[in-house]
Amino acid sequence: MSPYGNGPNSGEQIRDLTLTGFVLLLAFGTMHLPQSTQERLSTVLQSGLRPFISMQELVSEAGARRVRVEEIQAELDVLSAAMSRHQAVEDENRTLRRLLDLQEPVDYTYLPATVNRPGTPGSESTFLVDVGTREGVQAGAPVLSPTGLVGVIREARASNALGIDWTHPDFRSSAMLADGSIYGMVESRRGDFREDDRLVLNGIPYHEEVTLGQVVLTSGLGGVFPRGIAIGTVLAIAEEEGTWRKAYVLDPIAAPAAATHVLVFVGESGDSVNLGNSSRERW
Amino acid sequence: MNGFEQRGSLVWLAVLILFVLHFVLHIGLSYGREAPDLLTLGLLIAVRETSLGRASALGLVTGLLEDAMSLLAFGTNSIAMTVLAIGGSITRNLFVGDSRLFFPAYIFAGKWTRDVVHWLAMGPEVRHPFMEQAVGQGIVGALYLAGIAVALSIILGRWGEG
Repeated sequence: MSPYGNGPNSGEQIRDLTLTGFVLLLAFGTMHLPQSTQERLSTVLQSGLRPFISMQELVSEAGARRVRVEEIQAELDVLSAAMSRHQAVEDENRTLRRLLDLQEPVDYTYLPATVNRPGTPGSESTFLVDVGTREGVQAGAPVLSPTGLVGVIREARASNALGIDWTHPDFRSSAMLADGSIYGMVESRRGDFREDDRLVLNGIPYHEEVTLGQVVLTSGLGGVFPRGIAIGTVLAIAEEEGTWRKAYVLDPIAAPAAATHVLVFVGESGDSVNLGNSSRERW
Repeated sequence: MNGFEQRGSLVWLAVLILFVLHFVLHIGLSYGREAPDLLTLGLLIAVRETSLGRASALGLVTGLLEDAMSLLAFGTNSIAMTVLAIGGSITRNLFVGDSRLFFPAYIFAGKWTRDVVHWLAMGPEVRHPFMEQAVGQGIVGALYLAGIAVALSIILGRWGEG
């Protein structure tokens, strides 16, 4: 143990103060590094935490295996019923597309993945999935739970990928009502408490009538999210701006904290309404 | 090895265990605030055992490790832990810490300072209101950690006597 109190003006004290000043500068400097450098640094640091991340993956997988067989059977029954209707709808859709001379819709592929959530300060609203670039995952890939949209991949690495869920302040998605009548932009709004974090459907023209309880889906515009993924249901009016714009609070369909098993899209999400190559939307 | 060196080794071993346990709880088992911030506890103990320069370096390393999983505000943990390590190390020269109340009070003040600095370093678009994050959660977290510190000091005291 080093002695309490260094002698005044000692060389050791000067060296100590210099080192402290340098370290303090480094600490403040990390915040101002370019984002790409921060992400590279974060990747290097995560390799040091690899044993703990692997442990989390094992725990998550064990948790996912504990799901009761009866629940899976019930989900399978619902899915089978939906699929039986889906075949007829798909056939009808194909015929109509041919009649209207529309392009074939983009075919999506996805990977099942396990979600891991670190509990360290500042990692709120982020998650890790156990699939990466080796499996074809890229930054910007949508992440879905069985109920709806959970988030988007922010950074893909060889064996895993880091994503943000819809509670992240940077989350954005182009959206529409389920009947395709109204389009807008869904964004995350921070509440006074974490439990008050909300999704807001913004940019709705004032004269458009949105009925409470309507389902909101991704619109496919912008090319990040495929069309038709459930986001939430309209809960209430959030704000009105003059007589030209309204925003609605959504009740999110997917609870990010409860998502342990997800699907990560690996195909071209594209724009299934064929409106041309619009620029990638910001998330 | 004399008693003084033996105590030092015991403290550094406890610090190492606290660091590992922190990452097991917060990353391995995904606990959030329900698990104590053992990294801060370990750092607060360690910085009283070393010089100011080394303490600040240890603060930066632990902060960077916390930042590894942080996309929201990279660097804020590094700042908070470095400032905390410097502050903790300076208290060596101000308080010897013989009083029974000193240790829990030191841990309480340290943890709360860490949360307040972290809140200040985060951008306004990312952080939650001051009353919620720094005052509400901060004080509860600090009390929680001070309680853990008291339990730890009792265990280590008994172990040292044994």
